[in-house]
Amino acid sequence: MLEFFSHIPVTSLLQQILVGLSRTTILFIVASGLSLVLGVLRIPNLAHGSFYMIGAFLTYSVAAFVGGKAGFWVALAAAPAGVALISLILERGLFCHLYDREHLMLLLFTFSFTLVFGDIVKIIWGSDFRSISTPALFQGSFSVFGLSLPRYNVFLLVIGPLVALGLWALTRKTRIGKIARAAAVDREMVGAVGINVSLVFSSVFVIGCFLAGLGGALVAPTQNITQGMDHSIIMEAFLIVIVGGLGNIWGALLGALIFGLTDAVGILLWPQFAIVFPYAVVVTILMIRPKGLLKSTW
Amino acid sequence: MKKSFWMVVCGMLVIAITACPLFALDPIKVGIVDCYTGPPSTYTNDVRDAFQLACDKINAKGGILGRKIEFTTRDSKFKVDLGLSAAKELIMREKVNLLMGTINSAEALAISDLCKTEKIPLLVTFSKSDAITGEKGHRYVFSMNENTSMAGKAAAVGLSKKPYTKYWIGGDDYEYGHAIADGVWRNLKKLKPEVELLGQTWWKVGESDFTPYITAMLSAKPDAVIIATGGKNCVPFLKAAETTGFNKRVPFYMHTATELSTLQPLGLDAPEGVLGTSNYFFYYPETPENKEFVKDFQQAYGRPPKVGALYGYITAAFIAKAYEKAGTIDTEKFVDALEGMTVDSPVGKLTIRPYDHQVMFPMFMGVTQKAPGYDFLIASDIVTISGEDVMPTIEEIKKARGQ
Repeated sequence: MLEFFSHIPVTSLLQQILVGLSRTTILFIVASGLSLVLGVLRIPNLAHGSFYMIGAFLTYSVAAFVGGKAGFWVALAAAPAGVALISLILERGLFCHLYDREHLMLLLFTFSFTLVFGDIVKIIWGSDFRSISTPALFQGSFSVFGLSLPRYNVFLLVIGPLVALGLWALTRKTRIGKIARAAAVDREMVGAVGINVSLVFSSVFVIGCFLAGLGGALVAPTQNITQGMDHSIIMEAFLIVIVGGLGNIWGALLGALIFGLTDAVGILLWPQFAIVFPYAVVVTILMIRPKGLLKSTW
Repeated sequence: MKKSFWMVVCGMLVIAITACPLFALDPIKVGIVDCYTGPPSTYTNDVRDAFQLACDKINAKGGILGRKIEFTTRDSKFKVDLGLSAAKELIMREKVNLLMGTINSAEALAISDLCKTEKIPLLVTFSKSDAITGEKGHRYVFSMNENTSMAGKAAAVGLSKKPYTKYWIGGDDYEYGHAIADGVWRNLKKLKPEVELLGQTWWKVGESDFTPYITAMLSAKPDAVIIATGGKNCVPFLKAAETTGFNKRVPFYMHTATELSTLQPLGLDAPEGVLGTSNYFFYYPETPENKEFVKDFQQAYGRPPKVGALYGYITAAFIAKAYEKAGTIDTEKFVDALEGMTVDSPVGKLTIRPYDHQVMFPMFMGVTQKAPGYDFLIASDIVTISGEDVMPTIEEIKKARGQ
């Protein structure tokens, strides 16, 4: 076995790690949104994946509508905003009445929304596969030191830390972030000191869904925009959130890193059984630390 | 009182006679069970629409044996249990004469099993498991499309003529992926014994980002790669192949890479020079029959026909011709008539092999290329591998059936 691994050149391993990291970016963006909602609002939002899917479809439509080179960039700004708007309507109209319900009820409620959104997407966009071009700036690949990296993946590698930094600033430096963190620990206490919890909840929900939409928009040029992309992402996002610690954004980052890297490296080292790799790692971690790696807010 | 009663009876008779002047007899009922939800519907809608087109034509010419041909569809949502209960319902309640479908291989095999006991013909459209007419074949099941062993054999014939010896295989980790990969490799090894398999990569069916898989495969430095992925995975795979420059560094073959359903969504972003095989292109062969079919389909539905349209169209042609030949709507005589039957189709004459009930489709192997006048890539340098050459031998079928 070891002999087999020694055949793999270091450059391949490095390249694989970088590709894995760029994938981590998407996973982190989506999972952090889920974790935020889970931590502050205590909603296990299964429809989070649907927001991701809608983000991708909106990106397709906006990019097609605007057209040309600017298409994708306009879509990258517009699609997450569109998703945020949808989530705001949903939160004000429906979710805000349900915060006190038990988790099973919320689970069923958000699950029903995955079905509703699935059908809405089918009605609006049909069942054909959709695809948008990688922006002209990031087509092709970079070659450095014998490494070959698709340019778009490099772009994702830059975006990932930026989003993480933004989230750090949001939760640590802004008033709403501080209140949200407090609410995550003790919701009643925050209400008792006279803070409008409802407003905070609404903002957090919208920010969480915005992140899902952003993930969908960023992933759109790299894959097939199709129904069913909600299911695969929500499963991975939940795993990441659970491994990292429920409601902990840095846990989401750690979980995404573990998931993305074991996945990419597994593909290189053990290609025939690569599917098992990230899940086996997740199982091992949960066996050792059932509550996740970092402190859960639950 | 008595007079008005007769008036009513006469009136009703007049209505009955004028309403169906042609079809005094019961219609021939076809039940279609297929997945019309989610990504597979991009394939199945074409089967249904082309079948509808063909039925309309047949009915306009006076139907089959003076009977109208009708069909009803049931959405199985890609689920075996739903498909099976829909098939049962169609047989028991709707009393269909025969069944069609499905794109899901497991579902097709389950319905095929039901049809064997119920003695109802099943004309399989789209599911590509070679077990349907191979290992699990029986008197009442027919396959109206190519299958994994035919695709494998066709690819092997094409690849054996290329100078590659060191291969890597990557594919979907489920029935279809493994079947295609096995088919290609088994036949390639037979045709060109010096080929060597460096390794294999298997990914899950819903995989959406292929970049890490491609970079890993490339680092093994094979001469060529066989990609055994299908359905909705084809589009993101080709996309990742373009961004990683896969096709420029190592040539690769992917069954259905050249199909319209794969290339159209990608527009001009699809990679050039990818080897693929398919049963049908709306732009090839350039025969009057194909041109007429494309024109009719385009007129009716406002889009060019994809491969599924060919399957739907010939299924209707086979049904009509078999009943005409049998001269009755008796199921046993219909099955006898179908065995060995030949029909004209947009891709030339197609025959059902009597032994295993498999339509002997020619396979078109080509490479993806940009072409003037198209806003997506098309297949070029097309080589036709004849139906006889891609079919598994009868000995192989016998062996699979344990005879």
